[in-house]
Amino acid sequence: MRGYFLFAAKRFLQLAVVVFAGTSAAFLVAHFSPISPVETIIGRVSGQSSFSPTAVESLRATLTELFGYDQPLWQQYLNFWGRFIQGDLGPSLIAFPTPAMELVMRALPWTVGLLTVAIVISWILGNLLGGLAGYFQDNRILKSIGVVAIGIQPIPYYIIAFLLVILFGYVWPVMPISGGFAMSVRPAWSVDFVLSVLWHSLLPAFSLVVAGIGTWFFGMRALVSNIVTEDYVTYADLAGVDRRTVVGGYVMRNALVPQLTALAMALGGIFSGTIITEQVFNYPGLGSLLIRAVNGGDSGLVLAVSCVAVIAVASAIFIIDLLHPLLDPRVRVG
Amino acid sequence: MKGFTAWGLAFGVATLTTAATAQDEATAPPITEFPRNETLIIQNPEPPATNPPNFNLWVAGNGAALSNGNQQLVADTLWFIDPDAGLDGAIYNQLADEGWQYNDDFTEMTASLREGIYWSDGEEFTAEDVVYTVETQMATPGMTWSAAFNENVESVEAVDDYTVRFTLKEPNSRFHALFSVRWNGAWIMPEHIFSEVDDVTAFQFNPPVGLGPYTLHSFDPNGSWYAWQKREDWDRTAMAQWGEPGPEYIIYRSIPNIDNRLIEMSNGNLDLIHDLTPEGTFSIIEDRDSVRGWFEGFPYAHPDPTLPMIIFNTQNAPFDDRRVRWALALMLDARAMSMASYRGAATLSAISVPPTGTHPDDYHMPMQDWLIDYELDLGNGETIQPYDPNIGMQIADMVRPQFGDEVPTDEAAIQRAFGYGWWRQDIDAATTLLEQAGFTKDGNTWMTPEGEPFEFTINTFSEGVINRLGTIIAQQWSQQGIEVTPLADPQIFGTTLPLGDFDVATAWSVETWGGDPDLSFFLDSWHSDFVVEPGERQPSRNWQRWENEELDRIIEEIRVTEFTDPRNLELGQEFVRLMVEEMPVIPVMSYNVFSVYDTAYWEGWPTAEENPYANIVNNWANSKYIFTQLTPTGAE
Repeated sequence: MRGYFLFAAKRFLQLAVVVFAGTSAAFLVAHFSPISPVETIIGRVSGQSSFSPTAVESLRATLTELFGYDQPLWQQYLNFWGRFIQGDLGPSLIAFPTPAMELVMRALPWTVGLLTVAIVISWILGNLLGGLAGYFQDNRILKSIGVVAIGIQPIPYYIIAFLLVILFGYVWPVMPISGGFAMSVRPAWSVDFVLSVLWHSLLPAFSLVVAGIGTWFFGMRALVSNIVTEDYVTYADLAGVDRRTVVGGYVMRNALVPQLTALAMALGGIFSGTIITEQVFNYPGLGSLLIRAVNGGDSGLVLAVSCVAVIAVASAIFIIDLLHPLLDPRVRVG
Repeated sequence: MKGFTAWGLAFGVATLTTAATAQDEATAPPITEFPRNETLIIQNPEPPATNPPNFNLWVAGNGAALSNGNQQLVADTLWFIDPDAGLDGAIYNQLADEGWQYNDDFTEMTASLREGIYWSDGEEFTAEDVVYTVETQMATPGMTWSAAFNENVESVEAVDDYTVRFTLKEPNSRFHALFSVRWNGAWIMPEHIFSEVDDVTAFQFNPPVGLGPYTLHSFDPNGSWYAWQKREDWDRTAMAQWGEPGPEYIIYRSIPNIDNRLIEMSNGNLDLIHDLTPEGTFSIIEDRDSVRGWFEGFPYAHPDPTLPMIIFNTQNAPFDDRRVRWALALMLDARAMSMASYRGAATLSAISVPPTGTHPDDYHMPMQDWLIDYELDLGNGETIQPYDPNIGMQIADMVRPQFGDEVPTDEAAIQRAFGYGWWRQDIDAATTLLEQAGFTKDGNTWMTPEGEPFEFTINTFSEGVINRLGTIIAQQWSQQGIEVTPLADPQIFGTTLPLGDFDVATAWSVETWGGDPDLSFFLDSWHSDFVVEPGERQPSRNWQRWENEELDRIIEEIRVTEFTDPRNLELGQEFVRLMVEEMPVIPVMSYNVFSVYDTAYWEGWPTAEENPYANIVNNWANSKYIFTQLTPTGAE
């Protein structure tokens, strides 16, 4: 047990280093962006107005000071960490002075909801079908599914998404192609609202499932194809163990360990958002927020989204590392 | 495993059931329960709002959406100057009941306000609101008009409930421009609301209280749509002078993806699209009979009072040499530029005023004879007449095989739609000019006077028609022996142009009122007083960093000439002639916006031909005048 705690402590140290390095990198990338939030705002305010050059210059000076951009970078970096350890990621600069985390928390549930459902469904279906295809290698239906999956796999995701929009929005216009819910309902824990959210998420979720299922399918099929040749599986078959027990208990269970790791990684990656999905389906979420932040040079908001993503991915890996020795007895600590 | 299977089955069944239910309806899903014959649905060109519940449009950079209906339907100010003809002339007295009044030396401006106007919460609008708007922003740095007011206003006072007097720090004959809406203007704040707030910059102003004829009905917390409802007391707003707005509800929807905009309009879920690609416009007009653009036929698009052009950094050699600039202009084929950028749907302009609004009548048409007769001295004793008045006609002929009857045949209509003329491609004259400037030809490569190959980069937009324009220009110059590389530059307005970090760019430094010949909107900023040294940040809009004594004289005379004085037009024409002579920028065309509207549910829209009363480009605040002219067709 002492060995396990030592192992956990090491991993925690790694987590802290990864978060520090990742966040620092995000800070530098966000601040080295050639896009200035001051210029973005000036462009928005004065671009269509008859402001004199001196008035624009005065506004520039005010905003530069307001955003703390008149301070040297190292000072801004120290200020950032000072706020960070207090749980404050600072204000958004394109929605000043709204805290950047407030904007992130508005967008986060949409991304997490959509991606969790889509990833879990594609993981379950992909692994189930892939596992069966790996074990029952002569089954025609499973072979056909493999052929379809091979056909879909190379198609870029945005093509799949556009095809679905055109198919269900234009050719056979039965699905909403825009927004998170209908205008006729209001956000509340009501049946109408929940159904509306589900209805609007169907097409984007379906696009993610179609695009994502192949990876799980092929991964699982390859894993199972190897495992079925293992001695213990052959022995179980020869010993007359029930076929379902062999598939479920001997083959799938062993093959699932790396897939579970990959699932955790995929779920951690949720916090980076789904930029293309949100753009194509005009769906709310972190991806669109990140795009607006990058285009507006909003280093505060870019940093907030990046920090959430860094912490989520690093934490997911940390949890997997901690669970791995418990799930797989072949892994030893110490 | 059984659980997984059951889950998957349940999901599948639920999906199929829902899809089947929808199929029975055999139509697109209803956008809303708003009655369609009472609801106007408009595409908002802004992306979904960054800070959806914020309606405080007086704070710079707070993330409040502007063109989501907030500035079109709720906000109001003293005057509007329309980019098109207007309902009764381009200048609207909106909250003011007459035009601006200056004293003799332009150090005071008085505005007389309309009586009987009420805020949407029932409070009366008075001069105190105007005074509060100015004083609050002057006292609070970082608000949208803080700097502009501080620069100009010595003091502001309410002479009585309906009269405001501004005392200015220095003479300024264009101070009223701050309160005159082109795209937007200094909107009036409700004193009775904001004076109760501790921090006006952090105040969200939700729900907004306005002077326009609509109030907030509801909005998407994700910022994708905003629904507005007509005020019961709409007749107590300044808009009432133009009649009752037709729609009971107006919805603004952000739809960033162009394909989705087309699909939504095809499905009857969108009445007005702000902008499409040329190809998208051609597609929707062919697909849906009830859809049209500003022009009924080709080129469909609305020319905005903005002038895409080739901008030279005149602080960099050899672009400081007028002969080189003219030589580069004469190497271009306007027809190729029009076809490559706008698929022929461009409205060309050889002069530095966009061919839109009232400008064709004020500038382009009256100056045709001067342009035709204009003689360019090549420097070797020869002169040429470079202007070709028939380029617009030639482009119309080029697109006619594809678009047939959609292309006008009447000469005046073609000139209005395609532009009057442009510079004739004249490679021999360009060669002479370059040789006079000391350039030599080595094979097919032009060499600079220093003996180096003449090569440079042209910065252009990262996408869209201006990107295509930059690319075809680079190609044409390269074909003539100058190695020009187009660079897609996403920060062209943000950093490249202000920092002068370019040799040549396709962008614009000319934007006008559109509905008035006065050019001060952009021209004042071109005065040499504002031109900075190389490497320093150039304030907008003189991106070419061009200095000229004659230009300064024109600007200085405009500064002391009252806005409505006919002398402004003469000065504007003098500016145009100077620009042709010096060519510090090569004007190309107006910025044509492919706005389209659907007449299936609403009629009474403005048109280029019979009734050009307002700009259909709906993020402009003056698009609100359209709503008073719309009536339902009866379709549901």
